[in-house]
Amino acid sequence: MKGLTKKLFAGAALSIAAMSSATSFAGENPTNPIMGVPASSIEEFGGREGVRAWVESLFYYIMLDNRIAPIFREFGNPERQIFLNTQLETMVLGGPNEYQGASMSAAHADLGITMTQFNAVVEAAYNACERNVIKYHTCNQLINALAPFTDDIVTR
Amino acid sequence: MKGSKANGSRWIKTAAFAALSLFSTGSWAGLYNDGKVFLTGGVFTVDGAGGGGAVPWATITGYESRDGINGGVGFTYVRLPNYDINWIGGSIGFFDRFELSYVNTKLTTDLSNVNTVALVVDALELAGTPLVGDLGLSSNGSKLHMDTYGAKLRLFGDAVYTSDSFIPQTAIGFLYKKNTTPEFVRTLNADKAKDWEAYLAFTKVFFRYSTLVNVTVRYTAANQIGLTGFGGCDLGHNNCNSDKEFRGEVSIAHLLQKNFAIGGEYQQHGNKQKGKTVDTGGLLATDPDGNLVSDLVSNLIGGVSGLTGLNNALAQNESDWYDFFFAYAPSKNYSITMAYLFLGDVAVASQQNGLYLSLHATF
Ligand code: HEM
Repeated sequence: MKGLTKKLFAGAALSIAAMSSATSFAGENPTNPIMGVPASSIEEFGGREGVRAWVESLFYYIMLDNRIAPIFREFGNPERQIFLNTQLETMVLGGPNEYQGASMSAAHADLGITMTQFNAVVEAAYNACERNVIKYHTCNQLINALAPFTDDIVTR
Repeated sequence: MKGSKANGSRWIKTAAFAALSLFSTGSWAGLYNDGKVFLTGGVFTVDGAGGGGAVPWATITGYESRDGINGGVGFTYVRLPNYDINWIGGSIGFFDRFELSYVNTKLTTDLSNVNTVALVVDALELAGTPLVGDLGLSSNGSKLHMDTYGAKLRLFGDAVYTSDSFIPQTAIGFLYKKNTTPEFVRTLNADKAKDWEAYLAFTKVFFRYSTLVNVTVRYTAANQIGLTGFGGCDLGHNNCNSDKEFRGEVSIAHLLQKNFAIGGEYQQHGNKQKGKTVDTGGLLATDPDGNLVSDLVSNLIGGVSGLTGLNNALAQNESDWYDFFFAYAPSKNYSITMAYLFLGDVAVASQQNGLYLSLHATF
């Protein structure tokens, strides 16, 4: 039952992806930070479920921040984004690569995201770690692994 | 009188700086920005530039991202066994690319050896037989004042977000330092009271270890960051030399929390005044027999043995600087930095270790 919902969810997600970013659907690969990401990171995050809970907190904090909430309200799709972000973050933290969404550059190309808005999401990321009692040092492993996407996402 | 004038102009400069910054944010409301992540602009250094405590970093001051302008004002107080120093100034960061800074430094000495010389000078003047000109000394604490103007340009690299590359954020900086107590600087046998410095700074955050590392190379002839002037001369202001040289500096800051860092710094110093005694003009002149020329001076300092002791006590030395610090930014509007400094020998005093306290308020 649970698996079925998941599949339906993913299917819906994929079809929306195909519609919204018809140009490229390259998926995304794990990043390659210097000095690496400790193998224990995904476990310290509480595994896949922990990552999922973190992503949900992240979206709470994003929607509470006037600097970025309007963008997500207008262009976002919370359920799809929470689902895909869970896959992406699980992957970059060293978990299995099941990411089914668009590449970071394709997903954000038309949004005109500024560095200020990007940093606001990073602040939300730290707040989500604190809310979910994830250690600061562990949280930095996620920032470490996501940071290389900055240039793909910030287009202004 | 002279002191109060210097004091007045210092406040005017600081106020003008603050007014300028406020005016800027008012009239260019769209350019005000505080989108940088915690502590990634560094705090307020003794040079006014953004960085650690003593070492300027490659990061640009303030909380602006590349989308706007930000800045702040800073105050730092240092208490050493024989010196009391405070800094007041401000800095503005433009588009996370360029930085302008100003800081005024005031150092007050508490040195019995220098005070003795000052007392002798005063006594001779009172007796109507001044032997020397203005040595820039005061018997109740001689002072050194300095203005530092700075500019920094970020060249390339990103200290924070390029976690998949070893290329650090790299910036070039210039500082113009003007010591406004040139008589004392000359008495300390320095060549110049004003000079420029340049530095290249490299900063990188290693998220894997929640640690920021900064390396700076400075091209300078400064003695004690310029507080005791630049370069050195032999007694009588002969054989002066203020050739600049490259000196290395390192800052390491480990983040325990997103807004709390602990760390340490090292700053290489020159030693251009090494072994040189304070230049008292003709005050302590001796005749061929080694006796003091002035009977009055001889009486005041206890004859030849007093002279030897005083001359030894007036020999200078300079050590590299070390410090350990923590910086706490409770909000993006202010940060507090506390440090313990190991400055070693500073001019005519040895073992200058003490407490550093700094407040940086950002807009
Ligand atoms: C490292 C930081 C970020 C990561 C890892 C990330 C991740 C993602 C992912 C996985 C998606 C779904 C892609 C898909 O639909 O196939 C997405 C979409 C989106 N992201 Fe981000 N994102 C980041 C930063 C940002 C920022 C800073 C903003 C805006 C301030 C933003 C706004 C959006 C929006 C509005 C969408 C939906 C786009 C659409 O469906 O057309 N993201 N992001």
